[in-house]
Amino acid sequence: MTEELRVAVDRRPAGAILHTKGYINNVGGEEIANRAYELMDDGVKVILLNLKDTKIVNSIGISILIEIIEKMMEKGGRIAFCCLTPVIHKTFQIMGLANYATIYDSEDAALNDLNLKA
Amino acid sequence: MTMTAERQMELTLPMVPDIEIAAARAAGNLAREVGMSAERIDEMAHAIIEACINAREHSGCADQRIYLRFVGTYQSDGNPRIDVWITDHGRGFDLAEARTRRQKLGPAYKRGRGIQLMEAHMDEVEIISGTAGTTIHMVKYENPADEKTS
Repeated sequence: MTEELRVAVDRRPAGAILHTKGYINNVGGEEIANRAYELMDDGVKVILLNLKDTKIVNSIGISILIEIIEKMMEKGGRIAFCCLTPVIHKTFQIMGLANYATIYDSEDAALNDLNLKA
Repeated sequence: MTMTAERQMELTLPMVPDIEIAAARAAGNLAREVGMSAERIDEMAHAIIEACINAREHSGCADQRIYLRFVGTYQSDGNPRIDVWITDHGRGFDLAEARTRRQKLGPAYKRGRGIQLMEAHMDEVEIISGTAGTTIHMVKYENPADEKTS
């Protein structure tokens, strides 16, 4: 069985929003990383990951998300997250991801703070 | 405390990619039947996923199977309790050594947090491992406070 992750990219003048749908495991994490690295190579410095349609993550997927954050930090940019389920939020905190990325309750709050409004 | 089994399920699953999702969904269905809340089910699902991934990635078992048992009962206050057993017939591991190794690797090493996540998401976790394999027994309570007082 497979639980493919889908990623939709929404480019904005000041950055990009990645909307994920599905399971963030090793394959899903790599899919997000591919999209994020393409954006970084294109000069994008702010990426918001909206996880509204992701209900399950695993530790391998999160470790890939941390790698993306580190790579963005090396480039002087910023990764943020919004719309996490309570359990994914808790999992991010346990994995240490919350130490490196801001987590917003809503997309609106994130867009305002990151200046990503269209 | 008296534990009366209201719902039981046993599964044998092949070690194929994403099989952990099937395990988590099956446990979630049973937990819903006994009335566990969505957030508690979600936490349990994430713990089961980590346990299945550990079995698939590290057990090295010849039969390439994960054996699962879920039991739904009720606490003394009437709230649901779910017991989960996840077993592989692999080579086993030394839990103390695994914890020490993980600590030595430090926070910069991003992998190897499966047991930590299981412990954070479940109310009780017991790992029994030997040369014949590993069994992880985890318990999720709807109301953990009741267990501390009863």
